[in-house]
Amino acid sequence: MSIPKQPIQQRILKYTITALIVVGSIWSASGLEITLEKILKAPEQIAILVGAMFPLDLSAEAIERILPKVAESLFIAWAGTVIGALFSFPIAFLAANNVAVNYISETTKQILNGIRAFPELILAFVFLPITGLGALTGTLAIGIHSIGTLGKLSSEVIEGIDEGPLEAIKSSGGSKINELLFGVVPQVMPTITSYWLYRFEINLRASAVLGVVGAGGVGAELINQLRFRDFPRAGTVLVATVVLVLTVDTISAAIRRRIIKGRSVKV
Amino acid sequence: MINLPKKPPPSLMVFLGIPSALLFSYYCFLKVGFNLSDFKENLENRYLVTDPLFNPKWSWAIENASEALVETIQIAILASIVGCFVALPLSFYASQTTNQNKVSYFLYKSFLNLVRTIPDLFWAMMFTVAVGLGPFAGVLALVMFSLAIMGKLLSETIDSIDPGPLEAAKSSGASHNQSVFTSALPQVLPNFTAYFLYIFELCIRASVILGLVGAGGVGRIIETQRIFLRFDRISPIIVLILLVVILIEQFSVWLRRRIL
Repeated sequence: MSIPKQPIQQRILKYTITALIVVGSIWSASGLEITLEKILKAPEQIAILVGAMFPLDLSAEAIERILPKVAESLFIAWAGTVIGALFSFPIAFLAANNVAVNYISETTKQILNGIRAFPELILAFVFLPITGLGALTGTLAIGIHSIGTLGKLSSEVIEGIDEGPLEAIKSSGGSKINELLFGVVPQVMPTITSYWLYRFEINLRASAVLGVVGAGGVGAELINQLRFRDFPRAGTVLVATVVLVLTVDTISAAIRRRIIKGRSVKV
Repeated sequence: MINLPKKPPPSLMVFLGIPSALLFSYYCFLKVGFNLSDFKENLENRYLVTDPLFNPKWSWAIENASEALVETIQIAILASIVGCFVALPLSFYASQTTNQNKVSYFLYKSFLNLVRTIPDLFWAMMFTVAVGLGPFAGVLALVMFSLAIMGKLLSETIDSIDPGPLEAAKSSGASHNQSVFTSALPQVLPNFTAYFLYIFELCIRASVILGLVGAGGVGRIIETQRIFLRFDRISPIIVLILLVVILIEQFSVWLRRRIL
């Protein structure tokens, strides 16, 4: 049986990609001094750490200490998302090329790109000397990063709307403001709200991490417990974070589905 | 006057949801200590940051950070390759199209979800404790990070493939593994490549901050200089990182367009 051969171009592409992957991993592994010995020892070391974390430290003192920190992460994430939502909403209209004039939308888009380029952690430690150690720093860092991401997503939603209602409002004598208020906003609101919630889920993970640089939240607790080798307590922090993230993800996903798909109607 | 139909009353969710969301926001701002007067006062301190931030010491940064920057890229390359290729078989077990066994499907799916809930820096902290400080811990952390994302994206893609070829392979006598290998894998390979490049970009971004917890890469230098408030040394490093990240992203976007 003769099977047709793959075209030569595809074969070349396939070999190039394979070579790139192999060369890339060898170059990286040798540069990082990762030896077989290290890799073989790792599972055992990880098992020891996980073993040390269980049973979790569920004493009243530990819980009293950890729960407020976990809650703080939640507050930071929500407050940051609110800042992002409030500011990104008007900015999104400026960045959408079917609403704003061309050069304004281009400049706004570039500004949003610039904001998005900085990770939250970098923003956080630029803010640290200004806002001090604590939750406010984390909130601002997350808020500003969210303006960048939400602004981009929202402006893309606005660019994708149906122009019909806008024309209808214009032809019946509505002003530009009327067009935005009654033509654009009702069309984009469900999608944009669901993006806000989605961003909240991402921000929760980010705010959990921010504590590492002292910007509030549960991250500081984890790094401290690990440094003091109090592994059961570190395990408690970890489990608490996972539970919080899973709960928030589930609730938020349910609300998002409800917003996008609408109420389920019994037929 | 036209007889307009009555607007339906707002649903219970809108009725209760919006006020409670507003209340919760207010409570959050209270809790994080959003205080304008303090903020204004502290803003006077900004010269501590802004002055050195805008007087970058370029020569110092290039001399000291370039090696760590290469390390960062190496961590990202290795971790994304290993993570994605480990995730490749796992995703087939975490999709109902290719895994009929409900129990193992559920186990694989929950495993991927659990890995995804733990933030990347938490993985890094744990691995630095387990295997010691250094880039190896960073690689392991990002392997978990890319494994989780690839697992989710790819298993959802496998859920939506065309089951026809799978059935065809099975009806001509192929075993389960053979039919998955010959019929399901080729269908998702283009997506796999696209996701891989996307995850590689995410890894480059994530690997920058690994050093903050001692897991190797350029973050280590940022962390030490931050302790001494040497923002004049940090700002050129940040610019360098941004440049590298943007360059690699452009390269990856170009490659994705070539392949797909």
